[in-house]
Amino acid sequence: MKVKSVKKLVLENIFLLVPLIIYGIYKNGYLIYEKGYISLVNIFKPLFLVIIALIIKLIIDLVKYKKINIDYNLVYAILIAMIMPYNVNWLVFIIGFTISYLLSLFLEKYFKFNKVCFIYLIIILINGLLNEFSFANILEAKYNYSFSFWDLLIGRNIGGISSSSIFFSLLAYIILCYNFYYKKDIPLFINISYLLLAIIYFIFTHNNNFLLNSELIFGSIFVASLPEFSPVKRNKIIFYSIVIGIISFGLTIFISSPISIYLAIFIVSLFLNIRLDKKQQNKS
Amino acid sequence: MLKLIKLEENPNVLIVNRINNYEDPKEIYIPIINKQTFKLNDYVFKNTYFGNFISSISGTISGSKKILFKNNYISALKITNDFKENIKVKTRKKEINNIEELKITLKKYFLNDIYAKLDINKIKNLVITSVDEEIYSLNEFIILTNYYNEILETIERLLNILGLKKGVLAIKNTNVSSIKNVKSILGTYPKIELNLLPDKYLISNKIFLSKFLNLDIENTVYLSSQDIYNIYLSCFKGKNIDEKIITISGDAIEKSLIINTKLGVWGKELVKKFIKIIDNDYEIFINGYLNGVKVQKLEDIIITPDIDTIIINKKSKELATTCINCGACLKICPVDINVQKCFLKQLSHKKCIGCGLCNYVCPAKLPLKETVKREENES
Repeated sequence: MKVKSVKKLVLENIFLLVPLIIYGIYKNGYLIYEKGYISLVNIFKPLFLVIIALIIKLIIDLVKYKKINIDYNLVYAILIAMIMPYNVNWLVFIIGFTISYLLSLFLEKYFKFNKVCFIYLIIILINGLLNEFSFANILEAKYNYSFSFWDLLIGRNIGGISSSSIFFSLLAYIILCYNFYYKKDIPLFINISYLLLAIIYFIFTHNNNFLLNSELIFGSIFVASLPEFSPVKRNKIIFYSIVIGIISFGLTIFISSPISIYLAIFIVSLFLNIRLDKKQQNKS
Repeated sequence: MLKLIKLEENPNVLIVNRINNYEDPKEIYIPIINKQTFKLNDYVFKNTYFGNFISSISGTISGSKKILFKNNYISALKITNDFKENIKVKTRKKEINNIEELKITLKKYFLNDIYAKLDINKIKNLVITSVDEEIYSLNEFIILTNYYNEILETIERLLNILGLKKGVLAIKNTNVSSIKNVKSILGTYPKIELNLLPDKYLISNKIFLSKFLNLDIENTVYLSSQDIYNIYLSCFKGKNIDEKIITISGDAIEKSLIINTKLGVWGKELVKKFIKIIDNDYEIFINGYLNGVKVQKLEDIIITPDIDTIIINKKSKELATTCINCGACLKICPVDINVQKCFLKQLSHKKCIGCGLCNYVCPAKLPLKETVKREENES
């Protein structure tokens, strides 16, 4: 068993996200550029979103703590940038991220909720109010694709800007399973409960659209299992995961899948109220 | 299934597998627990008992000093060595043949820990563990390696005195040389059964060892090979226990050593004599990096029977942050305590065995053990 510090855990987590960002650049950048729809610079939109989120986080750190912290907020910032829809407005992202990040820092003193989902939902809400947007990129919006299983596995489906590759998500999950600190039961139980419901739904409606959900896989592996916002006891972990699986499936039927999973995680994390006594922590 | 793990060893800590002797200290210190009065310049013979403590040298009382003993600062008499080894009482009965004689000898010569462990009325199983719980200690290893004949002989004698049919000698399966040595003469001692233990932290703890060996913890007596060697010397050789084998190790020193030292020796003097400190920004732990006690200064330490290991490690540069709710402490705790909950509520837990695994795994470097293992009156 390898003993790790918070810094090491954060850096390892970021390292596992890199292949997904690179795939995001390929799918939501290079492929569109190749068809001549975007300029060369725009290929790197997934990376730029990550850099912007990191810069905002670091500036807030410098203002608030007078130093740069290598903490889980770094992972949160990267994850938020990765799950953004392709069509997110730059300005909305910058302003939305800054305001909701600051708001979450304030609110976390009183409530315990998944910060990543909270910030994501606020940005989506602002973006939705100001623009008409979809999760499909220019190519996906222009053409009708019939994705095969392998397409979905590699990540050619519609989803977050850097979170659509099931292959890289699963690869990261396998690596994370060897990490003593990772709550590996969470993705497992979320996906099992979701899949069971999707199969039942398929049996009754013959609708197979919900069977493979890349955003659910990414969200369950990286977002729902974030240590700060998930329970520690095994029975609570199982309960938390199953409820997320059920709610996200229920919501997926009515709203787009990327939103439903993060909304489900947010609701469950908020209501489970895994409150850490900050006062006691500060004493230590 | 036992929830035990193998600890990661620091590759910079290599203990020299040989006993160094320290038999001529300039001075020793005797903790004064009872309200005894002593005069300056009084002469003290070697092997004179001061309460539970023995003078391992002869010389004159030359002062006193505050020292750390079992987490408390107490006064200690300073005895300056005259290097004459003058002994007042020279004869002692060498052979013990029955339980009563064994009890009397253990009590008379202040082998209190062993006496307390040997609850003769309840004893049904005898287990001798020759396992160093602390990864940076080789005391048990070296005792078994050097004195395996004496240890097996003593176990057999003890089994006969206690009227037991069988005793277990438990050794880690990685201790190949001792396994070979013991096996070579084990046939001579039919009552002794050799049991090999996995190389895991806490396997020698009686809670886990009893589970591993499938023995009833209540009726089993657990002794270490150091205990057995002390019984051998005291009960079967008529010697007083005025020496102690300890390991001084850590990554802030050049060479980690095993030292057979006189009891009462000042820690600083011992370290100065044998050890070269290579990093002055160090921290000291007594009896274990994980399950031991942190000590402020080497000056506070004197070698008493309860000291097995002195660890001098480079100060950790990692600072404690806030809990990230990873649950590693809960997952690792061998006695299933909700360590995180106890820590956040600043509560101690009576089930805690103070193994320090929670501190070991905590990525935020929080002092979890120090909170959970506090004495009841502190919580």
